[in-house]
Amino acid sequence: VNRSKVPYIRIILVLCALGASFGSKRAEALIRFPHPEFESGHVLPETFTPAARAQVLEYVDVAVLVICLSLASYLALRKRSRTGLFFLMIFALLYFGFWRMGCVCPVGATQNLALTLFDPQYRIPIAVLAFFTIPLAFTLIFGRTFCAGVCPLGALQDLFLLKPVRIPGWLAQALGMIPYAFLGFIILGVATGSGFYICRVDPFVSFFRRSGSINRLLYSAAFLLAGVFIGRPYCRFLCPYSVLLRWMSRFSKHHVSISPDKCVQCRLCEDACPFGYIHTPQAEAAILPAQGEKRRLLTLLVLVPVLVASGGIIGSRLDVPLSRINKTVLLAEQVARENTGKIFDLTLETETFRASGKPERELMAEAFALRSGFRKGGFALGCFLGLVLSLRLVELSVRKKRECFEIDRAACFSCGRCFSACPREQRIRKEKKGRIVVHEP
Amino acid sequence: MNRKTKGIPPEGIVSIARGGAVVAGVFCLIVCVLMVTTYIRLRASHPLESTLIQSYVDRLTDAPENESLKKEIRSLDLLARRAFFTGLWQIRVGSYLILGGVAVMLICLKLAAAYGKKPPAPVAAGPSPDESISSTKAFKVILAGAAAIMAAALLISFLAKSTLENQVELTASSGQESAEGEAGTGTRWAEKGDYVENILATESLVTNWPFFRGPGGNGRAAPGAYPLSWDGNTGEGVLWKTEVPLAGFNSPILWEDRVFLSGSEGGTQEVYCFASSTGALLWRRSVENIPGSPAQPPAVSPDTGYAAPSMATDGSRVYAIFPTGDLACFDFEGTRKWAQNLGLPDNHYGHASSLMVYDDLLLVQYDDMSEPKLLALDAETGRVVWKVLREVAASWASPILIYTGRRPELIVNATPFVTSYDPRDGRELWRVECLWGEVGASPAYSSGMVFAANQYAMLAAISLDTKDILWEAYDDLPDASSPLATEEHLFIGTSYGVVTCFDAKTGQILWIHEFEEGFYSSPILAGDRVYLMDRSGIMHVFEDAPEYRPLGESPLGEPSDSTPAFGRNHIFIRGEKHLFCMGG
Repeated sequence: VNRSKVPYIRIILVLCALGASFGSKRAEALIRFPHPEFESGHVLPETFTPAARAQVLEYVDVAVLVICLSLASYLALRKRSRTGLFFLMIFALLYFGFWRMGCVCPVGATQNLALTLFDPQYRIPIAVLAFFTIPLAFTLIFGRTFCAGVCPLGALQDLFLLKPVRIPGWLAQALGMIPYAFLGFIILGVATGSGFYICRVDPFVSFFRRSGSINRLLYSAAFLLAGVFIGRPYCRFLCPYSVLLRWMSRFSKHHVSISPDKCVQCRLCEDACPFGYIHTPQAEAAILPAQGEKRRLLTLLVLVPVLVASGGIIGSRLDVPLSRINKTVLLAEQVARENTGKIFDLTLETETFRASGKPERELMAEAFALRSGFRKGGFALGCFLGLVLSLRLVELSVRKKRECFEIDRAACFSCGRCFSACPREQRIRKEKKGRIVVHEP
Repeated sequence: MNRKTKGIPPEGIVSIARGGAVVAGVFCLIVCVLMVTTYIRLRASHPLESTLIQSYVDRLTDAPENESLKKEIRSLDLLARRAFFTGLWQIRVGSYLILGGVAVMLICLKLAAAYGKKPPAPVAAGPSPDESISSTKAFKVILAGAAAIMAAALLISFLAKSTLENQVELTASSGQESAEGEAGTGTRWAEKGDYVENILATESLVTNWPFFRGPGGNGRAAPGAYPLSWDGNTGEGVLWKTEVPLAGFNSPILWEDRVFLSGSEGGTQEVYCFASSTGALLWRRSVENIPGSPAQPPAVSPDTGYAAPSMATDGSRVYAIFPTGDLACFDFEGTRKWAQNLGLPDNHYGHASSLMVYDDLLLVQYDDMSEPKLLALDAETGRVVWKVLREVAASWASPILIYTGRRPELIVNATPFVTSYDPRDGRELWRVECLWGEVGASPAYSSGMVFAANQYAMLAAISLDTKDILWEAYDDLPDASSPLATEEHLFIGTSYGVVTCFDAKTGQILWIHEFEEGFYSSPILAGDRVYLMDRSGIMHVFEDAPEYRPLGESPLGEPSDSTPAFGRNHIFIRGEKHLFCMGG
């Protein structure tokens, strides 16, 4: 076997993934040009609006979700079958990804729920609510089995993980702060009516739908390319839903374990986990904090309100740049810029606005009201991030004694790689199948 | 330990899987390249942009009955569309082929990985790595990162400047009130909105009087408590009165605490700066020693004089022009920044068009009989930024600057056109032929309509949307006085004392009033009052109303042909010999 070919294959893989999404729909957008201005005898097909998807199918989706979650929990916790989880993952990718084109997904449903909280006019569909809550409920009981075998985004990344490279722990910890910031940001976006940003930064939806701009496809391909080497980069360093799943999983009633019984400290599980979610045993000497560390912890605890308040103040001061995520504010600013006479050409948006006859003063009043909302939202976002930062720093300052290899309950995807690598697991399986006869001493 | 398989050894499966992955990968790559090529081809050869078809269509325009040509165009069009849709189909099919290829490749790679996996090699017993090292490093990195992000955010919060605030400045004295979106915002808009909507102005331009006929040169004063009556003979209602050293018909301009005028009696050309609160002459400067300036002043008519063009200011510099073609720039302390001669204008009455500033450009309407032109000079250096040669006769009118909601427009009157230019680059935007004779009155603008009028010619109301003349009138038209357009009405003052009020929308004459003296000064709208001074120096104030409703008549005590400046609740009037400040 020519091993030198393998890297090339991976490059090809990513290029082709890009090519696959380079698909028809973007190009199809080009066909919307006028029909010929002369009679050619060709009978134009009648245009029609496709009927809305039957509501019952939404409940079918929910049912499939529940079945998949149940199966994933069974396979991860009871059956402890990595192979089973792998095939479930393939099914989820095909069904929730390519068939349902990535929508509805629990990750995006976070926005719908946020909208329900901030817009009294909005009524969240039951199916969407179910998609948001059911995986969280399962996580609270069984850990992140949703990530293990049901999430199509995770599944796609898992498939592409071919040459895992371990990211240094400190870097992974630092990057792990991004989902909190993103979660706060998307809630701010929803609360101010600025849009659903999860869907905009979802790197894989363009693959599922086989459409997207060139920039979007390059962005998606970059994620896939990163995913060849870095395990689930989106799930670990961007997914806002993972923040909620972490909270649930930390307190989950049950959770996958590495070894079915006792840990032999072979460290194979540590090697098998491409995400670095296995905690190593910590001797007592290593966890005893020095005097300086104790002081640091105390200082941090005192500083928590200071960090929260600082975050809030800075967040509220960012109302101007933050408000630019809102189209109304952007339009108002563009109109204002044009009114200075320094802009030569109107944009399509301002031209449309000016043609609408809506008074500028109304637009400006709307923009200012929105900016006021961003000031308050920015304060809340800043406080939230300040709190997250404080707690993370406190968490990093606390040492824990550990006698054997343990899973990081909050972060672990329950993918089963660790237990499938565990020699105790292998041994017990073989015992069950009768391939090994154990002679007790 | 490798997986065991029946028949084929694991190495064989790995070899086959990797081979399969290579084949699938190469297949995908080829399809991918083909798809990209097709995509590029499709973008380059869009059926609607075919130059070949267009050339045939152009030929058809010349020979519309040519049936064979039509047939050829149809077949070409069909061909182009067919090629286009075939390309789309190829891309669509290609995407499915790639998906299939990628699936095969992934399966092969997973198989190769599964069967090629080396037996696990437990690490030699030893102490586990101390997680506290990693945690401490993470602590430091997160802390440093958070500090950097907070510092950057703080910096951005100070640097981020929203253009919306400019709108607030225009519409409300307190940005905070508007920013909160309170009801007060609407009220303030209502107070000043109608005024600022129609002119190109910033807050400072609105509250000052930087050009002839005010901000934008459109004859509208910022809302304020302007005096209604005074008596220049007795001093009643006159805040101060200061003698102006040299004569001139130019009108005062105002910027905060300073009023500027120019004067000349042929030989000496001077610029004056007065204190707006006391009338004290702060400085006077001669405009002299300019290369190219004529040794002898040109002949001018007594009605125009040697200092007819009004000055202009941008708040930091003032600009003055004289019939000699001398153009000078001074700062507010009277230091000459630059000066140049634009060439002696070939103008039998004497140059009279006033200056205008847009952004950092000094705009000069320089329509003489030899080479009529419009110039934009860098306000800081005097360098010509753009120059437009015009196909018009000499003109004594002044430009106005408007903002139509879409763009700024510089509108100038000169026989035979009313012409609009983009003040930023001199690009001509539109022109309407409706003037003839010797044009002295400047245009006026309100509510999407431009009004141009000239004695012995016509009054034309031009729609800014369609550039059509919506209505026209021929009687009692102005000579030197410019029209005033308000929201509902158009006021015209003639040199023989007739003032006509038109319905601005329809052209219907609403009222005509004949005064004893004629008007060279232009009417100014302040709130709902129209101020118009006759040549004897009597200021007539009447309502902006469909009937003539006089509000007062105030004598200046000396003749005046200049247009007053309004600002800071005062009115500044240049008489024959004095500069007056009326109010409080």
